[in-house]
Amino acid sequence: MKLAIRDLSKVFVTGTGEKVPALEGINLTVEDEEFLCILGPSGCGKTTLLRIIAGLDTPTTGSIQVDGEALSGPSRRIAMIFQEYSLFPWRTVLENVVFGLEVQGMDREERLAAARKYLDLVGLSSFEKNLPYELSGGMRQRVAVARALATEPTALLMDEPFGALDAQTRNLMQTELQEIWRKTRKTILFVTHSVDEAVFLADRIVVLTERPGRVREIVPVKKCPHPRDRTCRDFVDIRRHVLDLISGGSSD
Amino acid sequence: MRRPLGIILPILLLIVWEIAAQSINNQFILPRLETVVPVLLAPTVDILGTGSLVHNALVSLERVGAGFLVALAIAIPLGVGMGWSQRFDAIVDTTIQLLRPIPPLAWGPLAIAWFSVGINSMVFIIFLGAFFPILLNTIDGVKSIKKTWVEVAQTLGASERQVLSKVVLPGASPTIWTGLRVGFGIAWMCVIAAEWLPGTTSGLGYLTLYAYNFGQMHYIIAGMITIGIIGIAFDFLFRSVEDRWFCWRGLER
Amino acid sequence: MKGMRLLLLGCLAVLLVAAACTTTQQVTGDVGILYTKGTGPMPTLLATKQIDGYIAWQPFVEVAPVAHIGKVITYSGELPPAGRWQNHPCCVLAARTDLMGSNPALVDAMGAATILATRYVNDHPSEGAEIVADWLAGKGNFTYGNVTVSSVEVLDRAFPTVKFVNEPSEAWMNGQVEFIYALRELKALTGSLSNTTDTQSKALLFDTGPYTRAMAMIGAGKITAPPAERDPVGVGYLLSDHDASLFVAVKKWQYFNDTYGIALKPHDMTATRPDVVDLLVNGVKVAELKLIPADAGPQLMQLAATNTIQFAYVGNPPTIAAIDKGTPVKILMALNDEGSGVVVVTDSPATDWDSFVRWAKERSAAGKPIKMAAPGKGSIQDVMLRYALEESGLSVKEVQA
Repeated sequence: MKLAIRDLSKVFVTGTGEKVPALEGINLTVEDEEFLCILGPSGCGKTTLLRIIAGLDTPTTGSIQVDGEALSGPSRRIAMIFQEYSLFPWRTVLENVVFGLEVQGMDREERLAAARKYLDLVGLSSFEKNLPYELSGGMRQRVAVARALATEPTALLMDEPFGALDAQTRNLMQTELQEIWRKTRKTILFVTHSVDEAVFLADRIVVLTERPGRVREIVPVKKCPHPRDRTCRDFVDIRRHVLDLISGGSSD
Repeated sequence: MRRPLGIILPILLLIVWEIAAQSINNQFILPRLETVVPVLLAPTVDILGTGSLVHNALVSLERVGAGFLVALAIAIPLGVGMGWSQRFDAIVDTTIQLLRPIPPLAWGPLAIAWFSVGINSMVFIIFLGAFFPILLNTIDGVKSIKKTWVEVAQTLGASERQVLSKVVLPGASPTIWTGLRVGFGIAWMCVIAAEWLPGTTSGLGYLTLYAYNFGQMHYIIAGMITIGIIGIAFDFLFRSVEDRWFCWRGLER
Repeated sequence: MKGMRLLLLGCLAVLLVAAACTTTQQVTGDVGILYTKGTGPMPTLLATKQIDGYIAWQPFVEVAPVAHIGKVITYSGELPPAGRWQNHPCCVLAARTDLMGSNPALVDAMGAATILATRYVNDHPSEGAEIVADWLAGKGNFTYGNVTVSSVEVLDRAFPTVKFVNEPSEAWMNGQVEFIYALRELKALTGSLSNTTDTQSKALLFDTGPYTRAMAMIGAGKITAPPAERDPVGVGYLLSDHDASLFVAVKKWQYFNDTYGIALKPHDMTATRPDVVDLLVNGVKVAELKLIPADAGPQLMQLAATNTIQFAYVGNPPTIAAIDKGTPVKILMALNDEGSGVVVVTDSPATDWDSFVRWAKERSAAGKPIKMAAPGKGSIQDVMLRYALEESGLSVKEVQA
């Protein structure tokens, strides 16, 4: 799926009428099957951008085109994975994964089979009857991924999905995500504030400025082959470069 | 029962009661335990021509059930609407807050005038008793739904109706269930009082009032104990469902 | 700061407790009257010494001596002024004027049923007492502390003090008018009866047509079947033996059906206190009657005003007060005369009315005026007691809480 974002900006109006600009003049093209990271300091609007693409918010100016068509509201071709509290606690793991298919009206036998397939993909088949509260943070996020994949969207939006996990689980999940991406070849937009994570996962990194967020630079990471080695030279160089951009060196 | 410890105090109270009743020696103030216990042990025996404890308990329960169901049927949809739509809430809320503090019993004379004596007016009063706890808890339950759940559903392609039925209602159900439990308790209190209004010749409330007319205090106390036992039994029922179906609620991070 | 707050709270608590302890009910006249909305609370209040006595209708007068909590000092017929209340009218049968207009034959038939039942009660007093005991208490026992007595016994004691009559005679109507005077003096009539002449009052209160026609039917030995009434008809009554004629009419329905061709047949034959009966005339159902008991007369009149009941077996002052306020009812006939009594605590020095008055004056002078309970403001017992007390030179004030 190809995403074309033109001159996008977002201004929030508070209850007292005050105008808070969040994003300004975003121009961005996302290529098909690309893994794109959006990186920036806290408050820079990266989550806002993702939400707008998900259809949960509307831009103040500018447009988004999905494969040539204008975006208007949540689309079945785009699924989103949130940072936490996203699983329905009253549904079992399998019932969670099947949700999207249920809502779209798929036949019962079919949708259970499809759900099981994706649950297997994230390696949690034996937990299908468990309730979310019985799972660890990492497992829950895997279920969330399975749920998003089950509806076979063309793009996945991920809003700091590993932010609430401990460092080890986080690394594990990053590796797993890479595997899944390799296998399914989805377009992924991944929001994070971790430079390390971005360099590890992305084909390209969109670095945003502080609020109001503007595109500072788009850094390609194609030089490093997959699977990424954190210690390889190119990796370290790119990482340093991005860190410089983030830590507020003068804007060029 | 949840706490076996909890049985100690009632037993102590019974002992204190008997001692006090003996020393006060005025059955109008405190009838002796041995006048009350036989009544409870013979719950199928007629009392003062008004029927047995069992019969009257069933009559009262029937009435509570009816009023409670009506309250359910109106309060839950209304509550979902008010919790979900800020505009709707703004329109309706003031009226609700005005009506809420009025004790259901105060509606008695109006209830009789509008709905005629008998079961209709009583069901109205019971309805009022159960309505507000159910409504307020439903609103609260809906408002405390995690926004993320709704957004997940939306991004997965759910329509607004599906969001309401598959996310909002299940997500709010533990709080709604608490509202049902509290509402039932209040409805049970209301039925006793509602039976003091003219137009009925049966029910636990009516029985206690009738016994009062003849100064038969031991029947009154037996009636009160029966009322209490039924109340706690239902509370227990509600709680056990809570423990089984909604165990996920407390354990959600 | 926390200490200060606790201290303030403590002071507030002490003040509240002190206020509660010292705020007793203020009796400002020589005698205080407390209204209890029916006779229910009276035995309890008497037994716990919160009142010094009460006036009530039977059988609640007899309850006091039977339960050893009080003694009867006089029955209502003997209350002063001497002779005024002898054979005083007590309960009446009243009906709504709209029903009288739309189905007069039905009203006549009810009248006939009542008259026939009253005759039966007078001919068979102990059976009548038993039926009332059955209706009011399922013939069960009353337990008062260590004393257990059968309800039949209590009703047997009470029955002779009630005179069951129906005729709306001239003397009886004048007796009713006495009540109007009493009510006016008590400033209880502010509507259509506030300053009518006797003739006008009688016209507003009574319609003896149904009685006359009912007597004629009984005399001719045949009750005319009225047109069937489609909706249920409400019949309100009090839990007192004054309404014995109603209870007897229902419980002995088979007898009345076979002997006179009119019956009030209960739907549920096993119920001690049926609440739905069919009015049968010559074997044909002409109406479904809903029997609705109430605690006191004023409550019944309220139900009549909202057209919940169309007939009432009720005391006369509440009916008079209701007519005064515009409730569309008429008094058709008497149900009973007298049948109430005054009870005082067992250890009171009073044994009759005169000694009661002396006792009241002593207590009032000592700054501890006696408190009497009456079943409802404007009830016959209330009116009679207040009138008698004032006649005896005692001022009466409602107890302020």
